[in-house]
Amino acid sequence: MDRRTVLKNLALVIGGAVLLPSCLHPDGTTYIKLKHIDIDADQEKTIADMCETFIPKTNTPGAKELNLPAFVLKMIDDCYGKKDQEAFLAGMAKFTEMVKTKYNSSFSDLSVKDREAILTGIENSAKPKEGAKATARRPRPQKHLEADPQMAFYWAVKQQTIYAYTTSQYFMTKLVFYDMIPGRYNVHYPVSKLKLA
Amino acid sequence: MANLNIDSVKTRTFDAIVIGSGISGGWAAKELTGHGLKTLVLERGRDVKHIKDYPTTNKFPWEFEHHGQLPAAVTEANPIASRCYAFGEDSAHFFVKDKEHPYIQDKPFDWIRGYQVGGKSLLWARQTQRWSDFDFEGPARDGFAVDWPIRYKDIAPWYSYVEKFAGIAGNKDGIPELPDGEFLPGYPLNDVEVYFSEHLKKNYKNRHVISARCAHLSKPNQIHIDQGRTQCQNRDLCQRGCPFGGYFSSNASTMPWAEKSGNMTLRPFSVVESIIYDDKLGKATGVRVVDTKTKETIEYYAKIIFVNAAAINTNLVLLNSTSARFPNGFGNDSGVLGKYIAFHNYSAHIGAEYDGLKEWTVDGRSPTGGYIPRFRNVYKQETNFLRGYACGFSAYRYQQHKYDGVGSSLKEGLVKGDLSPWYVGSHMMGETIPKESNHVSLDSKLKDEWGVPLLRINIDYDDNDEKMKKDYIEQLTEMFTSAGFKNIQPSTNHQAPGLDIHEMGGARMGKDPKTSILNEWNQVHACKNVFVTDGACMTSTSCQNPSLTYMAITARAADHAVSELKKGNV
Repeated sequence: MDRRTVLKNLALVIGGAVLLPSCLHPDGTTYIKLKHIDIDADQEKTIADMCETFIPKTNTPGAKELNLPAFVLKMIDDCYGKKDQEAFLAGMAKFTEMVKTKYNSSFSDLSVKDREAILTGIENSAKPKEGAKATARRPRPQKHLEADPQMAFYWAVKQQTIYAYTTSQYFMTKLVFYDMIPGRYNVHYPVSKLKLA
Repeated sequence: MANLNIDSVKTRTFDAIVIGSGISGGWAAKELTGHGLKTLVLERGRDVKHIKDYPTTNKFPWEFEHHGQLPAAVTEANPIASRCYAFGEDSAHFFVKDKEHPYIQDKPFDWIRGYQVGGKSLLWARQTQRWSDFDFEGPARDGFAVDWPIRYKDIAPWYSYVEKFAGIAGNKDGIPELPDGEFLPGYPLNDVEVYFSEHLKKNYKNRHVISARCAHLSKPNQIHIDQGRTQCQNRDLCQRGCPFGGYFSSNASTMPWAEKSGNMTLRPFSVVESIIYDDKLGKATGVRVVDTKTKETIEYYAKIIFVNAAAINTNLVLLNSTSARFPNGFGNDSGVLGKYIAFHNYSAHIGAEYDGLKEWTVDGRSPTGGYIPRFRNVYKQETNFLRGYACGFSAYRYQQHKYDGVGSSLKEGLVKGDLSPWYVGSHMMGETIPKESNHVSLDSKLKDEWGVPLLRINIDYDDNDEKMKKDYIEQLTEMFTSAGFKNIQPSTNHQAPGLDIHEMGGARMGKDPKTSILNEWNQVHACKNVFVTDGACMTSTSCQNPSLTYMAITARAADHAVSELKKGNV
């Protein structure tokens, strides 16, 4: 066990029972019942397939395997205001319609290549000022959406997928190291010694 | 029955009562119990025990329901609390929710509150700079407010006293306007902060960047280990409560210490409705409390009373404590109670990039940053505004990820990425001038759930603040430019007073009972067994973060109270 694990465990012991993991598992193992917005099974599938197109399974797990779609929906359901949710839903309808017109198919029935082409096409058509970039050092979703509903929908799904992914246990333990208890502050530290994943 | 009543009075009688358990109340509790006084500590909120009641402290981001983000229902229901930088999914349980405790904003005022044992000491930014005589002599020299009845020499030993116990990290910088203290090793400045510090030293007189002194155990002494605290682990998750006791809070430090003395009785869920004044005895005999759960009114009695309800609420308690002797509020012969409230002006920022020192970065996290002590109007009046400002100053860089595209390239962009250039940022911390018009008062009709009148808050910026803000932007822009920083971006906001969480005054100290509420020992001029030692006592605001000064003032006043008790003077 390295020193940090020891420290974290020590803190857990000191902290006692209250530190047991929350019973509400945020990444969810099943789809979450939404409280504020109405999404039907097809729409849920569309969003899940968008998530998987953004973060596909490669030699590391993809969005679906990490249960990101449920979290993305939960974020939009809980953390967006009514106005943003209305734009999101209107945008999803527009998106579905656009795919149907262009491909005579639903998004989910398309090949990965077509799905990628659709998403890349939207992204390249109009980027928000900050792109999908979350602010500075801590990933945070951007809550104020674009005026155009389709863009609002697109960026909401993309940003929340990125947020879900980069704050997931898998990402923060396997792909990068989230250092909860650094126990150090070294200044004048050579960039060459930094482990940039 | 008669006996029962006598017994009941007896169980409700103490040597001392402390109203509030935040940063100053905790100190009052520790000092008074430490001198053997049976002390009742009243807290309007719930109890929060160190570690045990920090439910989020060891959670990883993915263990939060929204990975740290607050639901819209919470932010929309709490526009005031939501404006505080520390209000998040990991800390919301330590903040007062807007609807629970309403107040009337005659002018916009973001009143940030923490109603629990420990108060806001769980949430504070932990910056602890001493005041100097440039601050205590300010009102007299510049002709505003009233003269402070104390000087630096009066409080210096008490700064040392509280610093040793609380644990303050800092360096001996030898700057007269920011006196050195009893420090644990300071956190170092990083390379760009050092660069800017050296730049200022070379090019400006009296402008310094130092490592901001902070209440963190960089290297604990025995006295901190005796409190059950250990070294700060640089987690930067302080607002959750620290399981290591790495930073000072009432919960980690003074309250358990007071409890250990065996002399403290802690009563949470107890709103103080008023202080009881006995006309015949000519002094205060106790306090009237409303139990927030049962709504029952109970009286408690003591020889001395310390009022540490937090600046604005202390004003509320005093204003609501009326009697034949004090028809306009407790100790308010002068008519200044609730007036001359001031705060700190945090409404300007500036950011920039630095295109050098690219081969260097930092590793780990610092609990503090750089600090530029006040350099305006220090030795003499030199600008078109009174007083001045201190500045936060920090340099940082971070890994830049790519968020473009879809698929494996996006996945890679989220993991990999080069280091950004250095960015620098600063915010102003301006002194504001206490004015009679900046005041709080009781509403004549509306009351809260416990029968206490609602507070009306009437506090605003003035022309002096605007001029100072303009000067901050000008000076920092010039300093950044001459240091070779690029892409300099000043910004101002219109944040309401209150969001600085440095509201002060209303029951100010002063030499003359005709123009102040408290004397040089924080005793109410007209009722010497009542002491006010939280932010309400402040005659002026300086520009240093005030908590350390509250601690020192409290310890000093408690010492005086004990000695006056022994002499039979109170």
